Amino acid sequence: MSTPAPQAAAGNIATFNILHGFPEALVRGMRSSFLGDQDYHHLTQCETLDDVRLNLTETDYGDAIADFNAITPAVLQKAAIEKLVTEFKYLRTQSVEPLATFLDFITYEYMIENVMLLLKGALSGRDINELIEQCHPLGMFKESTMRSIPTFENSARGYADLYQTVLVDTPVGPYFAMFLQESSEHQGTDARHVLEEVEIEIIKSSLIKYWIEDFYHFVQKIGGETADIMGELLRVRADTNAINITLNSFGTPLNEPAMRSSDRKRLYPAVGHLYPAGTTELTEVSNEEELGRVLDLFPQYAAIWSMHASGGDKSIDDVFYERDVQSLELAFESQFHFGVFYAYAKLKEQEIRNLVWISECILQQQKDEINKFVPVFSFHSPWRGSKRR
Amino acid sequence: MADVPPTRMNQQIFKGKKKAAEGGHKLLKKKADALKVKFRDYAKAIAETKSSMTGDSSNAFFSMTQAEYAAGNFKQKVAEGSMTARVRVGAGVDNVAGVKLPVFTKYDTGAAADNQSLGLVGGGKKIQNVREKFTDLLEMLIKLASLQTSFQTLDEALKVTNRRVNALENVTIPKIEGILGYIARELDELEREDFTRLKLVQGKKEIEIKREAAQKAKEAAKIMVSGQARPKSNDADITAAFDANDDEDVVF
Repeated sequence: MSTPAPQAAAGNIATFNILHGFPEALVRGMRSSFLGDQDYHHLTQCETLDDVRLNLTETDYGDAIADFNAITPAVLQKAAIEKLVTEFKYLRTQSVEPLATFLDFITYEYMIENVMLLLKGALSGRDINELIEQCHPLGMFKESTMRSIPTFENSARGYADLYQTVLVDTPVGPYFAMFLQESSEHQGTDARHVLEEVEIEIIKSSLIKYWIEDFYHFVQKIGGETADIMGELLRVRADTNAINITLNSFGTPLNEPAMRSSDRKRLYPAVGHLYPAGTTELTEVSNEEELGRVLDLFPQYAAIWSMHASGGDKSIDDVFYERDVQSLELAFESQFHFGVFYAYAKLKEQEIRNLVWISECILQQQKDEINKFVPVFSFHSPWRGSKRR
Repeated sequence: MADVPPTRMNQQIFKGKKKAAEGGHKLLKKKADALKVKFRDYAKAIAETKSSMTGDSSNAFFSMTQAEYAAGNFKQKVAEGSMTARVRVGAGVDNVAGVKLPVFTKYDTGAAADNQSLGLVGGGKKIQNVREKFTDLLEMLIKLASLQTSFQTLDEALKVTNRRVNALENVTIPKIEGILGYIARELDELEREDFTRLKLVQGKKEIEIKREAAQKAKEAAKIMVSGQARPKSNDADITAAFDANDDEDVVF
């Protein structure tokens, strides 16, 4: 699509290590820094956040939180994300093409979110420094670019300028261009109205859709094992998005018959198992029953859907998280492909989510719910045989 | 006390004042009792609402945690988005035993919820949950705020009324009673003085009469001794000179 094709192939079992052996070794080393079953067990037994801090000092997070005397869930989250960013940046500096572009692709997801935040914030007239603080650190782009976003005036010409001078520099610029073009074609309005009227989530979902498609095509061009593993991961990601968008749009204006085919359909990515037959069906779905019927046609999603439909403790988000962790862990099982890097970033994210969940539960004294997280690389995972110790 | 001249008119005036004060005292006591009953009701309602709110608020904040687990940090997105009020608070006045109490009521503006597509790619249901839980919490908050302001105003009013009742009971009415007592005593004393004076005067008069009677008796005795005195030519007795049989009857 918009990203140039990779200059070299990733290589196979014989040639991969020439260029990418060192980064892969680094990632495998970082894999051992994940919290284990013991650590999670200790953490869930803590009574206060000080105990949590004590337990964390023995793990890999010890350095990250050493500076703080008292931790709160927000502090913990920030420190953990900083740690991830440091590790990721190190990986990035050690990599060459095409791994470098691959790693950049991983950061585009966060960049999209940051750009949306800055734009919306600028529209509401917020202070730029506050906004920059709220940005996700993995998705930062040039400081100068960021600072110049709010300086543009709130007018039609302002947006055109904004795009031409600022956004086009950022790597996510092309996605923006495609989005604006499609919206103005579709609705006959110009850039400014689109940005003001459309809700931030919808813009973001559209951008994420373009990102997934772009990433997918890039990965296919790399070929080899990377194409297989990453391709599968991205297809599943696209399907998850499509299902979530459909499910969460019930009860919102997006579910109205007029909006469904015009707006909601445009949010479904053009990759994935559900594409194209499933997504066409999904466009017409208006409630959970119909959604269930469509998903029954796809066996892997039928199982997930029945877990959601049967009610009970797990919400569909929990089920999706579990399934994601399972497939990401599988990426670590084979070598000589780029999937491990993506898996590493995503699994670290899940771990950070788990940490924040546990510390919030302890803080709010909700001990019954504390075990509702998905541990990473756990021996007790349902998909591993429980005999293994 | 000494300033009030002890006259009957003042006695009447102060009797009227005492009646008014006692009537006012009774009415204020009734008002104080009514306020006290309401006070206790409000205190109970506040305690109940507060205890049910602890459960509600911890639920609401925990649902927030759950939503952030499922959907990532969405606080920023909500803060940046447009915000139209879906709920407004109306202020009204309630009248309790003559005391005006402020009350707050909740109005739904009927505006559509903003940010409905939040959590579109994950956690949408959880965010809906947060919205519902916090709406309930908001309702409780408004109710509690209304109860607490009414409670405070009621407290003030009760204090003032009690102060007035006590003032009447312990200051005004005893003062009036003191004055009335003083007047009564003074009037009694005046009456006694008058009575005494009257008695004295009467006594003197009696002495006078006795003296005159004694004088007359002495003179009569003197006349009897000095000769017969014609009753008719008795100078002292002019009417004795007139006899009904002196003249003949004139017959027409």
